[in-house]
Formats: sequence, structure tokens, C-alpha cells
Amino acid sequence: MKVAYYPGCVAQESGKELDMATRWVARRVGIELVDFPNFSCCGSGFVDEANSVLNVALNARNLAIAERSNLDLLTVCSTCTGMLKLANVRLAEPAVRSRVDGALGQIGVTYRGTTKVKHLLEVLTDEIGTAALAKLVRRPLTGLKVGAFYGCHLLRPSKEIRGESAEEPHGFEDLIAALGATPVLYRGRVMCCGFPILFVKEPTANRIAATQIEDAHAHGADAMATPCPLCHISLDSYQNKAEKVVGHDLHMPVFHLPQLVGLALGATAEELGLPRHLVATDSALQKIGSVAVPA
Amino acid sequence: MAEANVAAPFEVFRFDPAHESAPRYQRYHLDLPPHTPLLTALLQIRAEQDPTLTMRYSCRSAICGSCAMVVNSKSRLACQTPIGPELERHGRIVVEPMRNMPVLRDLVVEMTPFWSRYKKVEPHLITDPTQPMPEGRENPMTPAQVERFKETPRCIACAACYSACPAVEADAQFPGPMALAKLYRFVVDPRDTAHQERLLRIQTDGLWLCLRCHLCTEACPKDVEPSLRIRDLKEMAVRAQGATDNGSRHAIAFKDNIRERGILNEMKLVRQTYSPGQLLAQVPQGLKIVRKKPEVLKSPHRIEGHDEVEKLYEILDDATEDPP
Repeated sequence: MKVAYYPGCVAQESGKELDMATRWVARRVGIELVDFPNFSCCGSGFVDEANSVLNVALNARNLAIAERSNLDLLTVCSTCTGMLKLANVRLAEPAVRSRVDGALGQIGVTYRGTTKVKHLLEVLTDEIGTAALAKLVRRPLTGLKVGAFYGCHLLRPSKEIRGESAEEPHGFEDLIAALGATPVLYRGRVMCCGFPILFVKEPTANRIAATQIEDAHAHGADAMATPCPLCHISLDSYQNKAEKVVGHDLHMPVFHLPQLVGLALGATAEELGLPRHLVATDSALQKIGSVAVPA
Repeated sequence: MAEANVAAPFEVFRFDPAHESAPRYQRYHLDLPPHTPLLTALLQIRAEQDPTLTMRYSCRSAICGSCAMVVNSKSRLACQTPIGPELERHGRIVVEPMRNMPVLRDLVVEMTPFWSRYKKVEPHLITDPTQPMPEGRENPMTPAQVERFKETPRCIACAACYSACPAVEADAQFPGPMALAKLYRFVVDPRDTAHQERLLRIQTDGLWLCLRCHLCTEACPKDVEPSLRIRDLKEMAVRAQGATDNGSRHAIAFKDNIRERGILNEMKLVRQTYSPGQLLAQVPQGLKIVRKKPEVLKSPHRIEGHDEVEKLYEILDDATEDPP
């Protein structure tokens, strides 16, 4: 299958390991990623708060780029997914539609509203299929207990996202099981990582991250995995801060979704960018009998 | 034909803080039709099996807002939650009191924290005493003005949103979804004369602690959609008051940041949001991140077609007209 690949900003910058892992997995499972150097940022929810119509217009422009090539748009970030889907929904409001169409018209862009937005998770579970994916596994993640962490914007608001069940999703857990690992069910898996207020009130954001990490741990998770690089920032890059807020160590390795898939499909830690994490993934790799990540 | 009964195992949170040191979960079994509301099931348990089970309820019709509780991890009205789908998904029904409020007994919580955060937003009409209403008539609104309230007047103050909210859980400063939805209702009310003061005050009083996780919107039994109203409030606050705190400064900085290259310049965003003192405090963490991810120091490329993005900003952001 062939898709317009929308990496989002973080996967091109501090979360480059997500892009590395996505490209590795796509090659292995037969997804052809078409790059478009003219995609802009999705606004990450912040532009929506500052100027909601501008936010729709920026994303309509992105959606139009995929539409011109007759491709579905593949995302690897829960927030990008949410913002791009939100644009499709808000364009159904006549007042928004006319302002956005007017602005797009002035830059010579037309968006008919046909682009489907799909997160890599949905493509792997619904289009490739977990059974087909299981057949590609070369290093089963047997013995590894993984807490899926969905990221809010992949699920909610359900009226705008219209994806999996907003409160009781299971696609990610099905995927984890197909890789040979054991999915861990815990309340926090559909909760917030705290990222949106990391710049507003950092200790509160850290506390929210710690709550979900502790919940995953209490239910037996050896590691967490997320389809959202913003959750990854909160759960991995700021885990040391979360530890300070709660006053004890957390030691929770956090994988990007395609890193977990890549591991099971035989990629090396370096190919997946695991050494770039702030929390070492060694403890999880040892569980599946893989070599430790060099420092 | 009558619906066939299903076996319904319940695990109900029991706690009497006056006499017990820790909560426990008590099991009950009933055979009931799948459409049975959870509240009906709990009342049957109380009538037939355990008269000590304590809960709040009244109307049984999703109007009074008394019977909110946590059902298989979700904040819900018990009277509006049929047991069948819960049993299908979970094989059992775990019933707990609402979160984010202390338990008085079993499924009954102390709601004072909810009400005191609510009162802080002054959830009543504020009018200008020097501008009395026209003699002999009421203060009318047009249908279009009423439309702007969205669904906020339907709120029944059940606190399901408050129970579901991770910002409430983590930070006492956050007013909570219901309080902010109610604030929205007064900020768009044409009869209220304190719109600007309300927006200015809430910017530093917790508005920007909303995580836009939308858990409140999923929990709300009346489709008030608190998170979407909070989103509207933030945009109104930014437009009316500009950057007055870290939250609004961050949203504006993010918008301006993308304009420069079409994609985000992460390092610059940090500098744009934080004050010099806050920035200094970030240095140790920044160094930790840079050591693992050195390319964050480099400015990102400028996207192709950046001129198109710039033009969209000129048309939709530089113009001062109000949002639709």
C-alpha cells in the first residue's frame, strides 16, 4: 500500500527515532511512504487554541496535498491525527468552510474534503492486520509485559475522531499481543500524559505523567508504548522530573509504537534509535533476550 | 418477547471511613435483562441482599444528576448505564465512587471541593448596576444569542466530568470542566457585563491547566462537551487579552513559531514561552535532552511552499475580524 507520510514536527526533530522506526517498519511490512516536503505543522492543539480557523486552514492545506496525489494520509502522532481529523470535521461547518476555502483559494489550493487520515496504529491493525503482522515476527517479545498508552487525540473527542472506542479501545493491545508480548490493561492507558501543560505548569504535568506510569507499573508493565511522540516527551524525556515530583524512581522504559513493532520484526536497537531515549530500554530488551543498548 | 436475563457479577466499592481502616470490594450476583440500568440493579441489591449499601440517587431519569459513579473505570450516571454492554466488554461490573472527592460512605462522596471550585468562577449573571434593565420589561436575547450557549445550560451538575478530569486530580488550582463550561456560558451571555474581567481573571486562574484530553466530554451525560467549551474560552481569552500567563503565551508563541518555517522550531519555542528566570531553570533538563538528541540545537528546515503558509497567516491571523 502507498500513503502520504505525515511525520509531524517532533519526529523530524527531537523525536527523530520515531521517524527512523517508522521507515524501518514500513519497509518491512510493505507500506510505501511518500514524502511531501511541503507539509506544515498540524498546530499541535496550541494553534487551535490561539486561532481555530487558522488551524483548520493549515491542516486543510496539508490534507489537500495528499488529496492531489490521491493518497490517504499516514500519521505517527496522536495529536497530528486529532488535528487533521478535526479539520475534516470543522470544514463541515458552513461558516468555517467559507473562510477556509476563501483563504485556500488565494494560495491556489482546493481541498474537496476526501483525504482519509490514518494513524500507523490503525493501518497496522486494520489494513495490514494483526494476523499478517504476527507472521512477520522474527523476535517474539515473549515475556515482555507492555502497557499501551494511546494518547488523547487518537481517541477523543469521539465525535470528531470517529475512530476506535474512545473509552475502551483495544487495537493497540491486539497489536502488542500479535508481537508476542503481553498487553497490560490499566486505567491510565486512555488517560492524559500531561504534555499539553508541560510549558504551563511543569510540576502538574510531571505529576500526571507519574500517575500513568505508576498505574502501568502497578498492573505489572515492564515497559510502556505510545503512538504519540508528545506523550513520549512527557513519559520518557521528562520521566526524571516526574520522579522528583513523586519522590521515588520510576524506571519505566517507553517505546514509540513502531519501535516495539520493529523490535519484534528483527530491527536492531540502533536502527530504531533506542539509544536516543532518556530512560534506558535495557531492562525491557533483556526480558526478550535482546542485546543491551550501548550507552 | 421478554429479553433473556444475563448473569451479572458486581464488584462494589464498600467503605465506611468512620468505622473501617480501608475500602474493600464486595461481590454480588444478579440475573437481569441486559437493558437494566445499573442504578436499578444497585437498588435491587440493596433491597434484596444488603440494606447497608449506600448511594445517592433520586429521579432515575438522568435529570437530577445525583447518581454519578465510576463504572468499570468510567465516570457515569448509574441510571443511564445499562448493564449489558458493560458485561459484554468486561465480564463484570466494577462500581466505585466518583474520583477526585473524598468518600463519605460506599458510593457517596463529599462534593464540597466540586462546589467550591465552581463558585470561584462566579457562575451567575454579573450586570452593570449603572445600566438598569429597561423599565417594565425583561432583558431579551435573540435566538442567535441563545445559540451561542451551545449545550451548556443542560448541565445537571452531576460532577461526572470533575471525576474524570486528570487536571482536577493533579492540581487544586484547576476549576474543573463543569465550572469552566459554566463560565463559558456567562462569557457568551449578552446580558453579562463582566466578559473581559472574567476572561482576564481565568487566564491566570487555571484556564490553561486544561489538558484538552476530552475525558470530560466523553463522561458528560448531557453532551455539554466541557472540553470544547474550554477550547472556545481559551481562544476568546487569547483574542481579548493576549498573552497574560504561560498558557496563553505558549499558545501564541506556538502559532507564531510555525509561521516562520512552516514547521516547529522546538528550541525556539522554549525560549519564546519561558521568562528568563524560567528558562534558566530549564537548563539542566535541556542539557540532558541535548546529550541524547543533539539535533534539537539546530534550526529546522523551512518547508517547501512556506509562502502559502505565510499567506494563510496574513489572511486569517493578521486580520482582526472576530472568529465565526
